[in-house]
Amino acid sequence: MSTRFDLPQPGAPTAVHFPPIARETMPGGLRVWSIPAPAAPLAAVLLVVEHGSARDPEDQPGLVGLTADLMDEGAGNLDAIAVADAFMRLGTHLEIEVAPDVTTFGLTALTRVLPEALALLADVVIRPRLEARDFDRIRDLRLNRLRQLSRSPSAVANRVFNGAVFAAHPYARGTLGTTVALRTLSADDTRAQWAEGFERAGATLVVAGDVTLDAIRPVVERTFGTWGGGRPRTPLPAVSLAGGDAAVLLVDRPGASQSELRVGHSGPPRRTEAYFTLLTLNAVLGGQFSSRINRNLRETRGVTYGARTAFEFRRAGGSFGCDTSVQSDATADAIAEILREFETIRSEPVGEDELALARSSLTRGYVRNFETAVQLGRAGAQLAVHDLGSETYDDFVPIVGRQRTADLAAAAHAYLQPDRSTIVVVGDRETIQPSLAALGRPVRVVTPEF
Amino acid sequence: MRVPFQKQTLANGLDVIVHESRHVPLVAVSVWYHVGSKNERRGRTGLAHLFEHLMFEGSAHQPRGYFEPLQQAGASLNGSTSTDRTNYWEVVPRDAARLALWMEADRMGWLLPALTDARFETQRGVVLNERRQSYENRPYGLAQFAILDALFPAAHPYSWPTIGEPDDLRAASIDDARAFFARYYHPGNASVAVAGDIAAPDAFALVEELFGEIPGGEAVPPVTAAEPVPAARRLVLEDQVELPRLYLAWTTPGLFHPGDAELDLVADALGNGRTSRLYSRLIHDQRIATELAAAQTSRELVGTFQILATAAPGRTLAELRDAILEEVIRFRDGGPNEAELERGRAQAEAAFVFRTQTLGGFGGKADQLNAYNVYTGSPDYFDQDLARYVGASGEDLRAAAARWLDPDRVVELSVVPAGRPELALEGSVPVGAARAGTAPASAARAGSGPGPAAGTPDGGRS
Repeated sequence: MSTRFDLPQPGAPTAVHFPPIARETMPGGLRVWSIPAPAAPLAAVLLVVEHGSARDPEDQPGLVGLTADLMDEGAGNLDAIAVADAFMRLGTHLEIEVAPDVTTFGLTALTRVLPEALALLADVVIRPRLEARDFDRIRDLRLNRLRQLSRSPSAVANRVFNGAVFAAHPYARGTLGTTVALRTLSADDTRAQWAEGFERAGATLVVAGDVTLDAIRPVVERTFGTWGGGRPRTPLPAVSLAGGDAAVLLVDRPGASQSELRVGHSGPPRRTEAYFTLLTLNAVLGGQFSSRINRNLRETRGVTYGARTAFEFRRAGGSFGCDTSVQSDATADAIAEILREFETIRSEPVGEDELALARSSLTRGYVRNFETAVQLGRAGAQLAVHDLGSETYDDFVPIVGRQRTADLAAAAHAYLQPDRSTIVVVGDRETIQPSLAALGRPVRVVTPEF
Repeated sequence: MRVPFQKQTLANGLDVIVHESRHVPLVAVSVWYHVGSKNERRGRTGLAHLFEHLMFEGSAHQPRGYFEPLQQAGASLNGSTSTDRTNYWEVVPRDAARLALWMEADRMGWLLPALTDARFETQRGVVLNERRQSYENRPYGLAQFAILDALFPAAHPYSWPTIGEPDDLRAASIDDARAFFARYYHPGNASVAVAGDIAAPDAFALVEELFGEIPGGEAVPPVTAAEPVPAARRLVLEDQVELPRLYLAWTTPGLFHPGDAELDLVADALGNGRTSRLYSRLIHDQRIATELAAAQTSRELVGTFQILATAAPGRTLAELRDAILEEVIRFRDGGPNEAELERGRAQAEAAFVFRTQTLGGFGGKADQLNAYNVYTGSPDYFDQDLARYVGASGEDLRAAAARWLDPDRVVELSVVPAGRPELALEGSVPVGAARAGTAPASAARAGSGPGPAAGTPDGGRS
């Protein structure tokens, strides 16, 4: 018999029905996707351009990102300040996000100013000025940002980790480039890069909000009608799943009271058949607060504010890693625990209760991802980035709900590699290096290039 | 009214606010306790936030922790502590609304039986690590502590950081936590908001059923503190940074007080985005700075206004200071132009619409209803809040800047690379030395420089 003090039990997972996407292709080749989200009088706009930092010329890392950054520093008949002013007077601002696979131009605006906002966006993308004066300023800002990041433990750890995990793959280079490479660039390089990657790009314009395709079609025709339609790109080479050399890469940060840690290796792309299984596996291992690794390092040992694992899925491959920072005197123990958790989930079946918790949290909570226009727009953009079908989101709940311990065991065996994990430590070398010997792996002191 | 709601107050004093919104099958629960680090005392700083951590560890009828059952039901959940309040929230699929409210009721009414020494010790360690991660081991991370210490006298509850001093956290006991719970965590000092796909009568009935029997508790008297007296202070902090950074700081009117919204708009005109006066001059035209920000931080008792600028390589903090104060004076004398007013209004109107998108979480509608209720006594404050922004005239902004941003009574903090104190503004006093004997422990240590020669800022020896 139930009483007032029995824990209430939740019901069945809520089915997710992603709103129907109205699609159309403009004469120039731009794909336009409209996703209805009528709850508030606003719209999220995401222009996904199929050109990202992985397309940087080998000797010019950072060029794509710098070019994209420069595109809204003067466009059409507006100078840099005037572009920003025009967006702000509409109550919005433009965010340019450069990722390895794509560059996304995003804004959220009240529906009534959407035509003006799209016209401005078209100026930025199609008619950027890319002037030398602005180039010098923006490059300087980026050089200074790199200098600042070189003192941030998490930025240092990410740079070393991605460099090691992706090794010779273009993904190893990151989006910001290096000081040495940026110094060799000129405004002409950005103009050439714009012509290469943005002038006739493959692109998808996602508009999610209180607006229909019929309503925005004339605006998009007027502003973007003849743009787009770039040739399909040669795919990037696939990321190797062979794993790393299992070294400890130590970056000295004298006096640090914590060590910033990354432990992991390369992983499969977003389109892997194991996608849903890996998400479920990760939820057991380290994807959420109640997962094994956070319970171990935070809730049992108290040596960190938090620890999590994640698969990062890109087009040509990805990575898997644990991301945490721990008090300095717990560095070696924490690394050993993380590796032990990788090994345990790989060699021992996940308990039925744990699997039920992971499945349940993922499936019952899934509907939370589709509340706002921005969330719906971002979800739509992901379909464009990875060339996924519109059934992707509706499939999530039933497929994750079917995952069994044997599925997780097979995926853990195939995709987790504790013995070939790269270990990155950013911490006080003097304090922590002696204890790292107990890990039984080579320790290399490295200085990342920023 | 932007967010329609109904409000009831239970017999035990608990405020209950319900906002129906049926477009997604989610329910957001938000619980505010009107207690924060301003209710602490020196020697026991950090207790309000440490206590927040304990609220997730378990309660009498759910002793195994709060994350597991809520995540199993598909919830996202979190909590946070500020100077003025502590909040907790869940966003759940609608069929788990009862679970979320049940959990909140259990820790409001029956927390202490599940509070053990082991849990207390673990969370003390977690919080010390949160402090390391978020402040000590982050470039410029200790600057805010030094600024608060300089802006407020030692007795003022805003003079210490919410995260607390490490020595105080180490000295805190489980009995302190029990006493804190008894004093501050009861229905009369709390406000519950439920927003989303639930009928208002059902929501009120659930809250009455689950929270109704919790005893009311004694009213918590408001915290009072003497108005801080602005004074010029010039400080230097050495840190593991590449580029020197200057902070200018003033005390200003508190949340919803006259001048608060005006100063928010002044901050936008001076430092928000490329169009702002300081960005266009310091970064775009003269290229003497490489990072810039300005903000009015509105708190319950009193606010602060801060401008920060990081020097471009080879440029000095004195150059930045002169240029910034010149712009402040120009604004004080001439006020904003039409373009600045138009941008400010457009941004405010859009921001108030954008704010109505999410039901829950930090800044969602449930959180906003509680904020208005706790700070103004009524959740019905959206329109008044917006009117403060769209109704402010150019002269209002000019007058607020003239009244509060006095160039002769400003706290100036230089954060410079360790070993390079000469890069600070002339005459700067090392942080910690200025108030010998009473300075917070962390600032005193930081003042000695966390560089290789001086050892670690905190040591990690918890």
